[in-house]
Amino acid sequence: MKPTFQLRYWNQINGWLLVLPAVFMISLFTHYPIVSNLFHSLFSMGTATRPEIFIGLENYKYLLDDDIFWKVLKNNFIYSLCTVPFSIGIALCMALLINRNIRGRSLVRMSFFTPTVLPMIAVANIWLFFYTPEYGLFDQIFGFFGGDSHNWLGNPDSALYCLIVMVIWKESGFFMVFYLAALQQLSPELKEAGLVEGSGSWYYFRRVTFPLLMPTTLFVTVNAVVNSFKLVDHLVIMTKGGPDNATSLLLYYIYENAFSFWDTSYAATLTVVLVLILAAITIFQFAVVEKRIHYQ
Amino acid sequence: MKLREIGIGKTVETLGAWMLGALWLLPVVFAFWSAFHPAEYSTSFSLFAPLTIDNFVRAWSYAPFPRYLLNTFILVTLILAAQFILCTLAAYGFARFEFFGKNVVFALVLLQLMIMPEVLLVENYRTISNLGLLDTIPAIGLPYMASAFGIFLLRQSFKTIPKELVEAAQVEGLSAVGILWRVYVPLARSTYIAYGLVSVSYHWNNFLWPLVITSSVNSRPLTVGLAIFGAPESGVDWSIITAATVMTMAPLLVAFILFQRQFVQSFMHSGIK
Amino acid sequence: MATSKIILTDVYKSWGKAEALADINFVCGDGELLVLLGPSGCGKSTTLRLIAGLETPTSGSIEIGGRDVSNLPPVKRNISMVFQNYALFPHLNVAENILFGLKARKVPKKERQKRLKDTAALLGLTEFMDRKPAQLSGGQRQRIALGRAIVAQVSVCLMDEPLSNLDAKLRQEMRQEIRSLQQRLKMTMVYVTHDQVEAMTIADKIILMKDGRIEQHGTPEDLYNRPATAFTGSFIGNPPMNILTSDGPLSKSFPDSSYFLGIRPENISISNTSGIEGQVVAIEYLGADTLIVCQWGEQLITLTVKGKTDALVGDYLRLNWREENIHLFNRDSGVRVSNPAGGTAR
Repeated sequence: MKPTFQLRYWNQINGWLLVLPAVFMISLFTHYPIVSNLFHSLFSMGTATRPEIFIGLENYKYLLDDDIFWKVLKNNFIYSLCTVPFSIGIALCMALLINRNIRGRSLVRMSFFTPTVLPMIAVANIWLFFYTPEYGLFDQIFGFFGGDSHNWLGNPDSALYCLIVMVIWKESGFFMVFYLAALQQLSPELKEAGLVEGSGSWYYFRRVTFPLLMPTTLFVTVNAVVNSFKLVDHLVIMTKGGPDNATSLLLYYIYENAFSFWDTSYAATLTVVLVLILAAITIFQFAVVEKRIHYQ
Repeated sequence: MKLREIGIGKTVETLGAWMLGALWLLPVVFAFWSAFHPAEYSTSFSLFAPLTIDNFVRAWSYAPFPRYLLNTFILVTLILAAQFILCTLAAYGFARFEFFGKNVVFALVLLQLMIMPEVLLVENYRTISNLGLLDTIPAIGLPYMASAFGIFLLRQSFKTIPKELVEAAQVEGLSAVGILWRVYVPLARSTYIAYGLVSVSYHWNNFLWPLVITSSVNSRPLTVGLAIFGAPESGVDWSIITAATVMTMAPLLVAFILFQRQFVQSFMHSGIK
Repeated sequence: MATSKIILTDVYKSWGKAEALADINFVCGDGELLVLLGPSGCGKSTTLRLIAGLETPTSGSIEIGGRDVSNLPPVKRNISMVFQNYALFPHLNVAENILFGLKARKVPKKERQKRLKDTAALLGLTEFMDRKPAQLSGGQRQRIALGRAIVAQVSVCLMDEPLSNLDAKLRQEMRQEIRSLQQRLKMTMVYVTHDQVEAMTIADKIILMKDGRIEQHGTPEDLYNRPATAFTGSFIGNPPMNILTSDGPLSKSFPDSSYFLGIRPENISISNTSGIEGQVVAIEYLGADTLIVCQWGEQLITLTVKGKTDALVGDYLRLNWREENIHLFNRDSGVRVSNPAGGTAR
């Protein structure tokens, strides 16, 4: 039975009416700001006495000469390059451990997952104390072995890595869940066939489990990279980007420019960079991840 | 024998899992320890340290935590209700109706998965300010109410509902709205639970956007309240800060411990495409 | 070549308190095709998995080729196995799937390639070597699974319901193919199925299992002609054997109510003069023959007649059978009774 013209016509209108409220809201807080942000990056900061004026690419020229920007960008890349592989690797180990029928499995799973449900702000508070010179947990442990006191977060060389360790702790359990889901979908028959055919654990992992988890790994990687550009809550509590911008990340630098220095025009310029980075990740995802081989 | 080797391997694995689990739980245990003991014990561990709730009482008196808690509660409820309504309607539209430009619009919606509202905080602040909503609870929620993630999940779930069920409902004379309400929504129950838990966790814990948009006790959620309270320059005692930290994370943590399976399953569910 | 006889002695298996297998004793001879048959949950798959080493017995011993393998892991048992869902690796192509085990065991490359070529030729898979399993039909996937078992060149092959995912026609073809491969390669094969027709057509010996115990072990003819229990009688044969009870003597070999009388549908004839009287409740025309279901008292009796029947639903028929065709079983234990009244039961 072919739908009549009228029915199709109604389908069109109903469909649009249903999606319209959500589409309007998303446009207002995602698409419109992307465009308006680009627009504002081409203007100077307006003040009470001086209206904003068109300055073309002036902000971008400033950005290229801004040492702090380059430092922040470098920090963010180090931060991503460390947190992403480590948290994913640990997540995979956790999932493999829990997927076995070990004693106390649900308790172990719970403790792995607990950091995921905690607010980043709370986590930052707890870890801030761990890193406190002399009294903090780390210095106490080091002190016990006769080590000196460290100013973990006060030292530009170690501060970023201290944050990285904390973020790995916070995020691994979250990524573990996706691996667990994927592992549970692997047929136990495959493992048994491997056993009968004489594949050892490592051979089986390398040839079967890991390749079959590849789609999950890619999905998790994209998520983790996006998170590493998006999640800066802990900086507000722990370092405020310091010392000497050693821990500042791109989004935090945007926040600082907009709401501490009230230079929204430069913040808009920085936001354009962040949006471009996220867009590049999106394109990568569609080009690579979505075209991954669908086995089944 | 070979079987014994397997047994040893398993023991090692079990011990490894336990140790890693203990390591992962340590910071949380530490926070609770410090919150329930007098300040002098927060750095020295003794089994005989006296328990106290003094830290909580003092944190309570230093800052309006009940108000923060109420704000967070209102915020999370508001967002969830709005998300359920907006996302259900949109997901229904995308899953069941054919209309002009559907695929392009859907792709544009999915853009929000990558570029979340907090990334665009400068412009969104401007928008909220133009709407005259600065420092209000709805302002914290507005950018998140139409969620691409929710639309995506519900659309996936709606698409798996067999056509026969819908056709049977049509034969029995249900309208399009009736079918949504009587067929789609009940059958997608597990997706709603999963999405609800993920959304509540996210917004209970969200910080940067609320920090930017709020400036008074009347609208600040717990996370922002805690950040202001715990700022080093506030000069408050570490034990009291941990007590406040524990208060902030406790409601969600208790819910998680009670419904552990449900939580883990929900996060799993939300990740499978 | 060494013998590859499989011997199970006093094997028990329980999961916690639940007993899955009890008192399993049997021998599968060299080059024999032994079918483990039974309804679902009877323990046939568990038995196979014990032989494979995927489970360990609670007690008892398992011997393959004169070696006690009870405590050896699967890889040390020199077996190959075909799984119900084929256990093909979805990300590997046909050749890689077939060679997976040989690479794991570090068989030299030249040898691998030779065996792969032979196996592929044997199964007609040569042109599909580069395809992924998802691109192949059910029958082709089944062949890859067979290929994996054959390429290992071990003499014992275990099959766990290998044909249950195929449609009826393909199942029959593959059944014949498996049987001829097994005979050509002189494999010792243990084959699990719940389908009695499959078992009857393919097996040298059948072990019929029920509730974790062996009900009967014998050739297909044994099981058909001399069922050891009422259960065997009703499980083997299509349509199944009628198992009747009576409060009084039914015939001279059915002296009293302490027996079940088993009679196969094909052994019942319609008579004008003697026999018990039943009313026709259903007629199923199958082409070559017709099934007639009659009600006799509280019980239903099924019989088959050649071609079409004139009987109509509601008619009364006199049903008769020869004394030598009846099987008697103890009413309490279900066990076959060979000579209850010194009569004719063989």
